[in-house]
Amino acid sequence: MVISEVHYPKDLSELFDILKRHPDALLYAGGTEILREQGGRAVELPETVISIYALPELRRVDLTERFLEIGAAITLSEILDLGDTALPPLLAEALRGIGTASLRNLATLGGNLACRSRFMDAWPVLACLDALVEFRNAGSSAWINVNRLAGQDGRPAAPIGGVMTRIRVPLERWDATALRKVGRRDYPASETAVFALAARGEKGILAEFRLAFAGETALRLEEIEARIIGRSLPLSERERRTFGGEYREAASALPRGLALQFGALVEAALDILAR
Amino acid sequence: MTLPFILNGEDVVARVRSGDRLSEVLRESFKLLGVHSDCRCGRCGRCLVLLDGKLVPSCIVPAFRVRGREIVTIEGYAQTNEYQDLVAGFKAAGIETCGFCDSGKMLAAGALLERRARPMPQEILEQLSAVPCRCTDAEALVKAVQAAADFRARRHFSRGH
Ligand SMILES: Cc1cc2nc3c(=O)[nH]c(=O)nc-3n(C[C@H](O)[C@H](O)[C@H](O)COP(=O)(O)OP(=O)(O)OC[C@H]3O[C@@H](n4cnc5c(N)ncnc54)[C@H](O)[C@@H]3O)c2cc1C
Ligand code: FES
Ligand code: FES
Repeated sequence: MVISEVHYPKDLSELFDILKRHPDALLYAGGTEILREQGGRAVELPETVISIYALPELRRVDLTERFLEIGAAITLSEILDLGDTALPPLLAEALRGIGTASLRNLATLGGNLACRSRFMDAWPVLACLDALVEFRNAGSSAWINVNRLAGQDGRPAAPIGGVMTRIRVPLERWDATALRKVGRRDYPASETAVFALAARGEKGILAEFRLAFAGETALRLEEIEARIIGRSLPLSERERRTFGGEYREAASALPRGLALQFGALVEAALDILAR
Repeated sequence: MTLPFILNGEDVVARVRSGDRLSEVLRESFKLLGVHSDCRCGRCGRCLVLLDGKLVPSCIVPAFRVRGREIVTIEGYAQTNEYQDLVAGFKAAGIETCGFCDSGKMLAAGALLERRARPMPQEILEQLSAVPCRCTDAEALVKAVQAAADFRARRHFSRGH
């Protein structure tokens, strides 16, 4: 068993100093994902672990009229405690569906998004809301769209080496939103995925339409969305069938069970727009 | 590593390895056997403790995470008036708990009442879902926690007068 050396940096600059000396160190936030599949008496950790949970730069929350900015080490319970007036309902619903109340007291939003083995439940919703995440390194920082945490192949592709510091969620009006967890509710597994949708109409036109689905791989088809946006509401029967078919085809590479459920959810969403 | 923390109100120091689970440290070094170690993956709710007042599964908290922090186990919590309010509330609602879930339900309900003096039924069920149990009716659980909230409020009121 490896005896890990644990560092408790008091701020980001100290964290970057440690990372310079130990580039392979494990960033440990809530640890709920890191330990999820470990059943032994003690947990296996790499040689160097950096506890980032208490870093002040990762523990801030800012609310303005236009966006909600959440520090990456804020726990899911702390986010839910912000209340329904501050939180976009779609995000609140997604976070409430993650694990149990006790797990959410440890699990952080940054850890949920930074997971590299699969997409966790916050990703589809934050992708639909067009959230941004800030990644910082010793000498640089960059905001990237949550959608770019999925690579071309649909697999998780969070930047390696940086620290996620903040998540910025735009606060917009939505006329229709939907969230469905497919597969078992309480635990991520190969057959689980989350479907999220947000749409807005303006003067009889579909002004925004975003749809994301993610489990082990992510599906966000911006080309189809771009062609749906701007259409008159309700959608015609022909439009409904065309787009439904395109989405189903794009999902054909998913495991069969997930592809079928995705198809049914898309169908239901397009039905609403066609009514 | 040496690990100083506060356990059930007392300053303690444990000698641990960084990867030791808090549940094992509490059971083995401190003989606090009200903390169980069962699924070791955060799902069964048998190892719940309060970490800085928040309910957490101690099996997925490695020892290094509790340096300088405050842990309350059921053994410590059972010494409080708040615990007695819960016992009375559960009795009033006619709920009998069992050895699997007793400590978890008490700590879960206690942590909730600390945050919300009058929690809504949905909040109670959400909080208690951290302790999976098929034997107790949801309505009775809500009644039990609401009754405990009443006992607690009455106690605070009579203390204030
Ligand atoms: C019983 C159980 C049930 C669960 N149920 C669900 C569920 O229903 N839905 C769901 O989505 N998840 C679930 N999970 C997984 C997990 O709890 C969540 O995804 C959680 O949000 C992960 O956050 P964390 O802080 O614990 O991450 P950690 O475990 O600390 O980290 C996860 C990964 O992200 C990296 N990381 C963490 N923070 C940062 C950062 N700021 N910058 C860069 N990298 C970082 C870590 O190095 C690690 O690789 C469950 C886990 C368990 C044990
Ligand atoms: S032992 Fe099951 S939740 Fe900890
Ligand atoms: S009463 Fe204990 S598990 Fe149901």
